[in-house]
Amino acid sequence: MGFNTNKVYKVHFLRQINESVFVIRFDRHGMNFIPGQHILIGLDEKSMREYSVYSAVQDDFLEVLVKAVPDGSVSKRLKMLDKGDMILVESAVGFFRIRHNELDKKYLFIASGTGISPFHSMVKSYPELNYLLLHGIPHIGESYDANEYEPGRLIRCTSKSDKGEFNGRVTQWLEENNVDDDLQVFLCGNSNMILDARDILLKKNFPAENINTEVYF
Amino acid sequence: MKYYLLTLGCQMNLSDRDRVSKVLNDMGFQQTEHESEAQLMGILSCSVRQKAIDKVYSRISKWNKWKNKKNLITFVSGCILADDREKFLRLFDLVFPVSELNQFPDMLKQYGVVSPMVYYNEDLLQPIRSSETLPSELLEWKGMKEMNLHINEFWNIKPDYGSSFEAFVPIQNGCDKFCTFCAVPYTRGREVSRASTEILEEIENLILRDFKSITLLGQNVNSYGLDKKGEELTFPELLEQIGKIGERTGKDFWVYFTSPHPRDMTADVIDVISRYKCLAKQIHLPLQSGDDKVLIRMNRKHSVEKYKSIINKIKDKIPESTIFTDIIVGFTGETDAEFENTRKIMEEIKFNMAYIAMYSPRPGAASSRWADDVSLEEKKKRLHILSEVLRKNSLLYNKSLLKKKMKILVKGVDRKDGFLSAYNEGRIVCRFASDDQSLIGKFVEIEVIAASELSIEGKLC
Repeated sequence: MGFNTNKVYKVHFLRQINESVFVIRFDRHGMNFIPGQHILIGLDEKSMREYSVYSAVQDDFLEVLVKAVPDGSVSKRLKMLDKGDMILVESAVGFFRIRHNELDKKYLFIASGTGISPFHSMVKSYPELNYLLLHGIPHIGESYDANEYEPGRLIRCTSKSDKGEFNGRVTQWLEENNVDDDLQVFLCGNSNMILDARDILLKKNFPAENINTEVYF
Repeated sequence: MKYYLLTLGCQMNLSDRDRVSKVLNDMGFQQTEHESEAQLMGILSCSVRQKAIDKVYSRISKWNKWKNKKNLITFVSGCILADDREKFLRLFDLVFPVSELNQFPDMLKQYGVVSPMVYYNEDLLQPIRSSETLPSELLEWKGMKEMNLHINEFWNIKPDYGSSFEAFVPIQNGCDKFCTFCAVPYTRGREVSRASTEILEEIENLILRDFKSITLLGQNVNSYGLDKKGEELTFPELLEQIGKIGERTGKDFWVYFTSPHPRDMTADVIDVISRYKCLAKQIHLPLQSGDDKVLIRMNRKHSVEKYKSIINKIKDKIPESTIFTDIIVGFTGETDAEFENTRKIMEEIKFNMAYIAMYSPRPGAASSRWADDVSLEEKKKRLHILSEVLRKNSLLYNKSLLKKKMKILVKGVDRKDGFLSAYNEGRIVCRFASDDQSLIGKFVEIEVIAASELSIEGKLC
């Protein structure tokens, strides 16, 4: 009795970005969210997972960016979704977000892999945002929707090839470049990347209170 | 018919127990402490630790064996993960979220139970609050998740408090923080605040009935009201109203709250506590780790610096306050150096009490999918080290109380013959020589005559 507490949303379609990464678009049902927040989605109550919203606040649909991991019991099932299928969704929460009165500040977004998702939502939601986005990926083929960012604002840091805008890890970029103290830095993705990047920033005497983090795994 | 209720876990479950008891008592059931006497057996479950879940399985296994010999009905409620819920449905006769407690009589009726007395007391529940009748989209906008759709009806049940002088008052349910080690957002849903009018009414009633100790409960008690987006009091405003009740009634009582989150521990909260006599000068502020990297992995959304600045504000504004905390040792990836930072902050802050737990992955929580890579042996070692620091600092503080006179609340008979057990406003455990059980539930004045680790001893003044 009464335990089916999540809302059922209809899938519009899946958009494959590469072999393992895909975007799920589904109903929004007027859900409020702030760019950077996450929602819980799943196929049943036992398998709900947190995903940052990928779409913009202006969109009348919701999107999440998913990587199907080999041992992932949920992501593999999500990859099988088709148009018209139903998923369970719980509304958005989270504190990884830009304060409304700080939209005019300068931002350095640093992501690894699908950790780019909240930044995609922020950039699409706030078209005037002054940002630079570092995306850590092994190969250029693993960049996601790169053409959706203004030219010069996305730096793909490719660690296993030389085809990105920067050849090396995001941490290497941070070591080799100046980071102004007045920037707001947002880090999202793999915890090792986040902690290493934070160490580099602190070594450069970057103010800790300007560093925001969201750990994915 | 008699019922037996096993309550596992935190104060929130103890508070829920008071409401479950009320519903069953109003149906004419009698509570028993002996499970062998009961025909209705229930558990308020806890998913915070695996040990608690293991207890549920162990107990239902025993009860189901008893079913071969006598008629029994079993139920389980409380904090339950979806995975366990599915298994419980096969083991228990009734499984329901505690927010649907008001439907429990109907569930029993459908199960074919004729209650010994009134069966169903229509007066038990207040009218459904207006917001419950709003369309689901609007409820969602108001931050009321479906998991907690019936939580207002649950809160409207007048509890049978398990004590005549201590009460737990839930002010909020659920959690939006998503700490990676915790499963509460998956078992209790998103944060929902109870109406302040109801909270204040319940508290005033308790005060007029001479309750001496009231604890406000919530998974993130100090984010109270934030889900109502400006349409409800904030936590400091709620405390202020409680303080004013204290002044208006002139009654003597202490109000505590647990558990707050450092992220929402504003200067306003500290300020209001300092201004009202009835707001107890004891603050329980979970630290979880003294290392920023571990805090990031835990998704705690506060730094060690932020935590320390809050503690400094508390000590500055309320120097007499005691500070309690929660700490997890051996969290995924916690290195020796990271643990050392926790030890250092334990030394620096000198907590009066710390509830220190060895990390164990909670199924459903994000960190359960990460390697639990600190060995049990190492976790035990770290637990021991922090416990020693706690004992040492607690003893130092308790010695500073020697020869001081203070008011304490007598809680019951102590384990030591001829002594009564009590606590002071700072919740330091205390005992004193007396056989006078009429003092239980009353404030008395003592002079501290001995101090030990984690407790003091006094003599009646």
